[in-house]
Amino acid sequence: METIKLKINGFEVEAYDKQPLIEVAEKLGIRIPTLCHNPIIEPYGVCRVCTVEVRHGRRVRMVTACNYPVSNGIEVFTDSERVIRNRKMIIEWLLGRCGNVPVLNKLAEEYGIAEPRFGRGTDNCILCGLCVRVCQDIVGANVLGFFDRGPNRYVSTSYDETSDLCITCGACASVCPTGCITIEGLQEGIYKEMPMGPITPIHIDFMQAVPKKAVIDHDSCINFKTGGCKVCVDVCEAEAIDHSMQETEKEVDVGTILLSTGFKLQDGRELKEYGYGKYPNILTSLDFEVLNNANGPTGGKIVTQDGKIPKAIGIIHCVGSRDKKYHEYCSRVCCMYALKFAHLIKEKIHDCEVYNFYIDMRCFGKGYEEFYNRLLREGVNFVRGKVAEISDATLDKSEEGKLILRAEDTMVGTVRRIPVDMVVLCLAVEAQEDAKSTARLFGCAVGKDYFVNEKHPKLAPVSTPSDGVFIAGMVQGPKDIPDTVAQAGAASSAILSLIQQKEVETEVVTAVIEESMCSGCHICVDLCPYNAITFYQDRKKSEINEALCKGCGTCVAACPAGAAQQRNFKDVQIYAEIRGLLAI
Amino acid sequence: MAYRANVLICGGTGCVSGGSFAVKKALETEIEKRGLKNEIMVIATGCQGFCGEGPIVIVQPDGVLYCKVNVNDVPQLVEEHLLKGRPYKKKLYTSPVEKAPIPALKEIPFFAKQRLVVLRNRGLIDPEKIEDYIAVDGFAALAKCLTEMTPESIINEIKKSGLRGRGGGGFPTGIKWESCRKAAIHRNVEPVVICNADEGDPGAFMDRSTIECDPCAIIEGMTIGARAIGAKQGFVYIRQEYPLARERLAKALEQARSYGLLGDNILGTDFSFDIKIVQGAGAFVCGESTALMASLEGKVGEPRAKYIHTVEYGYENRPSCLNNVETWANVPPIILRGAEWFTSMGTGDVSENPWGGSKGTKVFSLAGNVNNTGLIEVPMGITLREIIFDIGGGIAKGKKFKAVQTGGPSGGFLPESCIDLPVDFDSLLEAGTMMGSGGMVVADEDTCMVDSAKFFVSFLMEESCGKCTPCREGLRSMYNILDAITKGKGKEEDIETLQEIGEVMMDCCLCALGSSAPNPVISTIRYFKDEYLEHIRNKKCPGKVCKAMIIYKINSELCNGCHACTKVCPSDAIIGKQKELHRIDVQKCIKCGACIDVCPQEAIYKE
Repeated sequence: METIKLKINGFEVEAYDKQPLIEVAEKLGIRIPTLCHNPIIEPYGVCRVCTVEVRHGRRVRMVTACNYPVSNGIEVFTDSERVIRNRKMIIEWLLGRCGNVPVLNKLAEEYGIAEPRFGRGTDNCILCGLCVRVCQDIVGANVLGFFDRGPNRYVSTSYDETSDLCITCGACASVCPTGCITIEGLQEGIYKEMPMGPITPIHIDFMQAVPKKAVIDHDSCINFKTGGCKVCVDVCEAEAIDHSMQETEKEVDVGTILLSTGFKLQDGRELKEYGYGKYPNILTSLDFEVLNNANGPTGGKIVTQDGKIPKAIGIIHCVGSRDKKYHEYCSRVCCMYALKFAHLIKEKIHDCEVYNFYIDMRCFGKGYEEFYNRLLREGVNFVRGKVAEISDATLDKSEEGKLILRAEDTMVGTVRRIPVDMVVLCLAVEAQEDAKSTARLFGCAVGKDYFVNEKHPKLAPVSTPSDGVFIAGMVQGPKDIPDTVAQAGAASSAILSLIQQKEVETEVVTAVIEESMCSGCHICVDLCPYNAITFYQDRKKSEINEALCKGCGTCVAACPAGAAQQRNFKDVQIYAEIRGLLAI
Repeated sequence: MAYRANVLICGGTGCVSGGSFAVKKALETEIEKRGLKNEIMVIATGCQGFCGEGPIVIVQPDGVLYCKVNVNDVPQLVEEHLLKGRPYKKKLYTSPVEKAPIPALKEIPFFAKQRLVVLRNRGLIDPEKIEDYIAVDGFAALAKCLTEMTPESIINEIKKSGLRGRGGGGFPTGIKWESCRKAAIHRNVEPVVICNADEGDPGAFMDRSTIECDPCAIIEGMTIGARAIGAKQGFVYIRQEYPLARERLAKALEQARSYGLLGDNILGTDFSFDIKIVQGAGAFVCGESTALMASLEGKVGEPRAKYIHTVEYGYENRPSCLNNVETWANVPPIILRGAEWFTSMGTGDVSENPWGGSKGTKVFSLAGNVNNTGLIEVPMGITLREIIFDIGGGIAKGKKFKAVQTGGPSGGFLPESCIDLPVDFDSLLEAGTMMGSGGMVVADEDTCMVDSAKFFVSFLMEESCGKCTPCREGLRSMYNILDAITKGKGKEEDIETLQEIGEVMMDCCLCALGSSAPNPVISTIRYFKDEYLEHIRNKKCPGKVCKAMIIYKINSELCNGCHACTKVCPSDAIIGKQKELHRIDVQKCIKCGACIDVCPQEAIYKE
């Protein structure tokens, strides 16, 4: 681009030809007030507050700095007497429309306008058009527009009706300099859908995320709704944003694999008696974690659906765990995090009554029992008994909007009825839905709860029957974070020792397929528990990977053609041995 | 077959609404009845310009003009003139000054001082027949451009002629064409030519009449322009309120295409060009170039900043050459008769500096309190006095001249002291008004300058798009102050505030609508400050217009108690018995003026 020279308030400055004047002035640190300009939106030049004086030779012009393209040799005056007079009157005019807008009053103060000559109007919109332009040019939703003309001009939606086109992106409200656009129901702490929301479309999943990188949420990103916006692309200096990116599959060659596919939380709707999904103030433990998180939608404030601070909260342990109807096993982590929740609630809302309903407390290990004792002192209510049902069956006005918990208190021996404002369900941890097929893919077996079986519970707790495939974390069974980390450490060192060897020790007794005899039926392929047999479509023959073969002999026994033979245990050898023994 | 005589009947909108089509039909039946069908032809022409006296009938080759002809006059007119060969005196034009009828068109002062270039074919040809246009050298200029001239030489000829934009801005047309051509070549983007026929000034109808009387001239002018710039596409942006003009233009386009004068390979050359008519929805601001182009693109017609000119980035970001109807119509005669001929008319010297003078003619619509209202074309440099008193026939009803407003609603008012001012771009600008597109409204002594300024400000306020602050809020604040002054609530400092508002608006508005909008106020303050002060200090309106400052009275010596006024008074404010002196109840009087209009004794007056 061509560089040119110009003078602003006497200072010489270099700029690109046709660069907007306001940008050049900013470079010099000269502030030119403006109301209708936003760097992300094409300049509009309508508020005229940024009017400055430009001299070129004998020609003197008043131009708007936001969209005036500079050229060589011009001289700019941003606060000459004439400029100030013009700017003052423009501010007075705007005050005549909107007398109580803070941004205008600030400007008025700056320019010494005490009593505007044209009075003070009561409108809030200065007609800068930022909202209209962001909606049309950036978002592409085309919801807002100008209507009528002259002094009657106003911003609205078509026919002043609520628009179906509005995607409630909030862009208009965020650019409005006077704050006259508000979004209904967007008060602090009102989250409309489960789970939680709204969050910004570009976000870092959580502060501990690895890798700690921003992601774009398809469902809320404006670009995926209207094809517009892409403001992030313009502002990202690293040019890292690409909306056209698609999910891809990658093939990676590796020597060892650590299976750590984690768990999922049981679907709370399966337990009809607890009304999860029916009553908005019933949360899962993960919902509560999001709500309580300082980076969450409420900034860490614990509030109910309608933004109120709860006075009583019930936390139910063992939901779906230790229950013959769902999972017989103990989920192992609930007791401790339920205690943590109770503690945090008490810390944030001192006068909130917290009820923990438990079967029995499983505070195993270092410091856990002590933590439980501390909570007893903190005044958390512990009710030993399973909650039978949660409903909104209130008795009188004072209970309106509350959730009613009914539980048998086995300590006291009565059925209790406790009204609370919010319930947290400590749902069971479950194996992933596709746990069985995943395990099969890696040649591992799963137990009856679909957790992956280790090779040996004591001798090989992180190994699987497949060589080079290891497991760590909840994929193997419920466990808390310290246990997971310890297991992952063990698995990693097992992997490292394998890699260090640089070669694989194979079994002595492996199977081999005599190619000339193989009929290509691939019965053996499906049978091999170690995924060691590959069928080659081009040759129509099966072949055994000797590095994987454990010499179990399944294929040898199954092969109808007798093509699969066990090394050192071939039929002829066995028959010879028998003959020898029988001394025939 | 040759005809003995042609009867030309005006087919302009003014005369059509006066019943000229019915008169034409009556003429045709009458002529057939008298057996003159083979001797006399009846032709509907474009606007004759003498709209105040319409419907107009002209008999050629005698050159006799008849005014205000209605169907009942037809039998006698045919008998007297066409059979007996003598003018039909009853409908001849009578000058208000001379009182004797003037039969010859050429001798009527309204026509005598005019010089027709743009309107050269008005009343001569049938605008709906392209053959008529071709017969009067139509498309000869285009043929010359396509066969003898290069695009550069066309532009040079226009530059030499000193033709300046007739839409009001007065930008040299040749320079505009040249920069548009250069931008198109430089950017390698096909340019477009646009004709601005979105005439929005109240009471102005230059463009409408030009199209109505000679649509082919616009087509030829645009085609020449397209040839010079290198465009293949042209648009005529015409307002929806001009159905007749649009219809005639559409017909002319159709005929031009069928003759190979538009479309592919015009006149057998490799030059192709076509024109599309686009209807505007009648927003005043759409006459502004950038707003017009936005509207043409299908967007809301609002102006944008013009730091980047439309000749570079206009319609669809293509180099766009926008000229007014009158400018385009000037092009063919310039090409055909040469730049020297054109520069022989007008003021100044344009050989060095294209802004150095105003050449050629200008069409005005003369309106207001003059005897002859209508459409006139005068050479540049003619004085306002000649226009108002010679062509316009002086102030109506023998009143005194007070001011003349030129340039449409955002033009300024000029007082009697400026009456000998030559009418050209620069003199008018210097005097605080502008050429504009050619509106000229004459005000007599009964006009209140404050009220007139308020009228135009209110028009502009309603027509402002409201996009930029100074225009939207400035006009509103101006209106509020003027309104207060006319209601007797003015303050001494108001004049200063109005002047400051005007200056800021001229400095800061986004488009020319806003920056010229203060003209009516600024010029009236400049020339008629006394009147403002009279309103503010003494609460008196010298023109007796501002209702808050006048009361209606009855002259006891003149009133004969005829009751004419009591019958029309909408608020029953006039009291009095038959044949007795009437009296006006000031409390009830709403100052509508209905009584003044009906009083046969002229006994009612304002004070």
